[in-house]
Amino acid sequence: MSAIKQVPEPQGQNPSDAPEGSGTGAKAPDSVAPGRPATDLEGTGSDVTGAAETDGVVTAADSSRKPHSHPAPEHTDALAASLARLPSQARIWRRRALIVSLRVARLVRSGLDRVFPGIRFLLYSLQRRWRRSLQFRTVLTTLLLSMSSFAIVGAYLSNQIANNLFQERLTQAESETRYNVKQVQDTFDGAQVTDQSSVITLVYDTLNAVEGKGSVIQRRYVFEAMPEQTKPRNRWVESRASDQLTVSVIPKELRAAVQDSGKEQFWASTEFPVGTEDRPGIAVGNKVTFNGTVYELYLIYDLNTAQQTLNEIQNVLWAGGAALILMIGAIAWYVTRNVVSPVSHAAVVSEKLAAGQLQERMVVKGEDEVARLGASFNHMAASLQEQITQLATLSQMQQRFVSDVSHELRTPLTTVRMAAEVLYDARHDFDPINKRSAELLYNQVERFQSLLADLLEISRFDAGVAMLDAEATDIVQLIAHVMEGVAPVAEEYGSGMTLNAPEGSIVVEMDARRIDRILRNLVLNALEHGEGKPVNISVASNGTAVAVTVRDHGIGMSPAEAARVFDRFWRADPARARTTGGSGLGLSIATEDTKLHNGWLQAWGSKGAGSNFRLTLPLKQGDTITKSPLQLEPAEVGLTSSTDHTVLVLGHSVPAAADPGEPHEAAQVIEAVQAGETSAREAAGTRERP
Amino acid sequence: MKARILVVDDDEALAEMIGIVLRNDGFEPVFCADGGQALEVFRSSKPDLVLLDLMLPGTDGIEVCRQIRAESDVPIVMLTAKSDTSDVVRGLESGADDYVPKPFKPAELVARVRARLRPGDQKAPETLRIADITIDVAGHAVNRGSERISLTPLEFDLLVALARKPWQVFTRELLLEQVWGYRHAADTRLVNVHVQRLRSKIERDPEAPEVVLTVRGVGYKAGS
Repeated sequence: MSAIKQVPEPQGQNPSDAPEGSGTGAKAPDSVAPGRPATDLEGTGSDVTGAAETDGVVTAADSSRKPHSHPAPEHTDALAASLARLPSQARIWRRRALIVSLRVARLVRSGLDRVFPGIRFLLYSLQRRWRRSLQFRTVLTTLLLSMSSFAIVGAYLSNQIANNLFQERLTQAESETRYNVKQVQDTFDGAQVTDQSSVITLVYDTLNAVEGKGSVIQRRYVFEAMPEQTKPRNRWVESRASDQLTVSVIPKELRAAVQDSGKEQFWASTEFPVGTEDRPGIAVGNKVTFNGTVYELYLIYDLNTAQQTLNEIQNVLWAGGAALILMIGAIAWYVTRNVVSPVSHAAVVSEKLAAGQLQERMVVKGEDEVARLGASFNHMAASLQEQITQLATLSQMQQRFVSDVSHELRTPLTTVRMAAEVLYDARHDFDPINKRSAELLYNQVERFQSLLADLLEISRFDAGVAMLDAEATDIVQLIAHVMEGVAPVAEEYGSGMTLNAPEGSIVVEMDARRIDRILRNLVLNALEHGEGKPVNISVASNGTAVAVTVRDHGIGMSPAEAARVFDRFWRADPARARTTGGSGLGLSIATEDTKLHNGWLQAWGSKGAGSNFRLTLPLKQGDTITKSPLQLEPAEVGLTSSTDHTVLVLGHSVPAAADPGEPHEAAQVIEAVQAGETSAREAAGTRERP
Repeated sequence: MKARILVVDDDEALAEMIGIVLRNDGFEPVFCADGGQALEVFRSSKPDLVLLDLMLPGTDGIEVCRQIRAESDVPIVMLTAKSDTSDVVRGLESGADDYVPKPFKPAELVARVRARLRPGDQKAPETLRIADITIDVAGHAVNRGSERISLTPLEFDLLVALARKPWQVFTRELLLEQVWGYRHAADTRLVNVHVQRLRSKIERDPEAPEVVLTVRGVGYKAGS
């Protein structure tokens, strides 16, 4: 059990050995303690590696030596062949190794590639849940907070318990040591032995008694002569320790304290090897004297049982903490679910309400806050539903009204109109008064009818019943048709009409009836205000849109007029209205028709330089227009010199602020037009249908 | 011989006015103010053409149109105060050949009536073919193989117009002019609806027409 060791010069070895020994105590048994064997071991170690190296060299050289050692001629060919094969084989193997390593690298990379998106997706979904779920956030926060508080409390508790256990054991160890040291000193003092063997026997027996009775060692000891003292002749015992221990398990500070003191007792925590494991312990040191030699006696108490108790307590704490955290998580989940589920239910219901399912209501249970929320929510939904239903009914009533008025008015109007026409046709047989009356009746019935038609059309737009009947149609053909239709009017005004259509045919998804109406209106307006000058119609398309411009060179309009041109019943020149007739709704209807197509209808005008109306339509319904294929501002005006502008401004009475000598007005016009274009609002000059 | 025209309209003033205009132009009007009695009056008077108001007390105009169409190919012209697409299309689909929106001019009404009463031009014996359809122009008969297909005069005229020039694409305006006889007719929906009606009778699968083909953005042409 115990090994005897008598080292010739222990003093020199021990201090330097101590730190290493305490570190590797368990692995290196007592025989390692002296320095020499350790160096020996190193020496053999390097010898072994050296041998291995030489061995390797030999084997490597062996193969290259082989051909020379067997110079037999019948083998030369084969040898030369194998010699020649060697580098190629080496190359093959190198390449194989490269291939294998590349394959492995690819496998690893593809594995990572497969794993990374998974991880990223997991992180992303967690983040998403964190953002989107109040419940998830609350539960997670609760768990994290309770975990950290458990960690703090657990650490404190475990620390306290460990301290108490240690203190208890320490007190016990100190009192036991005091008693045992006294016993040893007493035995040594009363010893009457002089020969070497009996001294050794006495010391060993005494020390063995310290270990305690029974098969379990109660305490271990380390017995060591104090260094730096004259060695008496009869000093046969230098050091002694329980089983595998050496003095290296005693901390240096403790030894220093014991060596420096008188008869006081010191203690320190330490670790000592038992079997193959390191155990925590308390070393209590004191001095004893025997035969004039001062020895240090350290008793080491095992703290293993205390450590085990502590471990068990810690295990219980861990298990309890984990269970509590799980329970807290479950509780948090349950509680938040109770609070959150009505809220998310409300969110779902309000989404449905917003989507138009007005009959949707929340489920109300109990009388708590959530129930109050549900009740007031339902109340709100009910009043909302009522309002919307009322509005819908009103709108329906308006539509019905429009339809009824349309029918009710049209039938008698048809009769009146037919009667007026019959009278008008027979006017030559009437006397002058009746003849004129018949003419007036006929003309005004015509006017009344067109006004009524326009009004009904507008109210159909207002009621939202106007439907787009879109079909792919060639717009160039439609324009030609419109021009053909208005040719008699053009002749009457003395204006020529030109069509500039570089593309022979442009197929557009549109409601031909409405586009026909818009273009007819624009062309008739241009003729009416063109003062007999030519009217130019251009059509062009880009990838997404088609544009038609109707340009006249007549009286034109000012920016202020351009801003109001599409307003209902608005006339630039009230005096003209009486002579030209028209309802004042033509361009408003054109605007509505354009809106129905998701198109643009815009106007540019300059006093005296005429005006330009541009209709832009998407080629396919549902597309949005980003750029019109034709310019709104006519090129020849944009390029005119400043003197032309002067003429323009002089030609018309302008507000006093504008100096007639400066080209202000044209700039103003351009600005107004640009503003109109960017706001996608249709601006135009006053035009009535003739 | 004066052409007899049945005017079905509940508005007495308008009916009387229409009567005056028609008589003025040499027609013989017959009146009926109630949708329920329209069919009886039609049977007893045997008119050459029917002017039918879409909104009638009793049986409504569309129903009357259906009833008359069920037993006769006589031309029917609808008078309608509503110019909404759905109403017009509904009227045409129930079998009317044409429609006149209120308020209309007397001349317009008379022109339309005349167009529908146009006597079948002196047709030379002529046989036309589109796809697997045989048309006997003089005999006013359309056959697929031995199977006889029954068409109204208007549908027949439409088919013949397309079949006579199978190489030509007809715009809706051109068809309005050639088949309906209008110089400046506004509404091309007439053509759409009648082409659909024609297809439903002569095509094997109206969804995938072989006889009357649509030329996108332009109009219609005969199949080969």
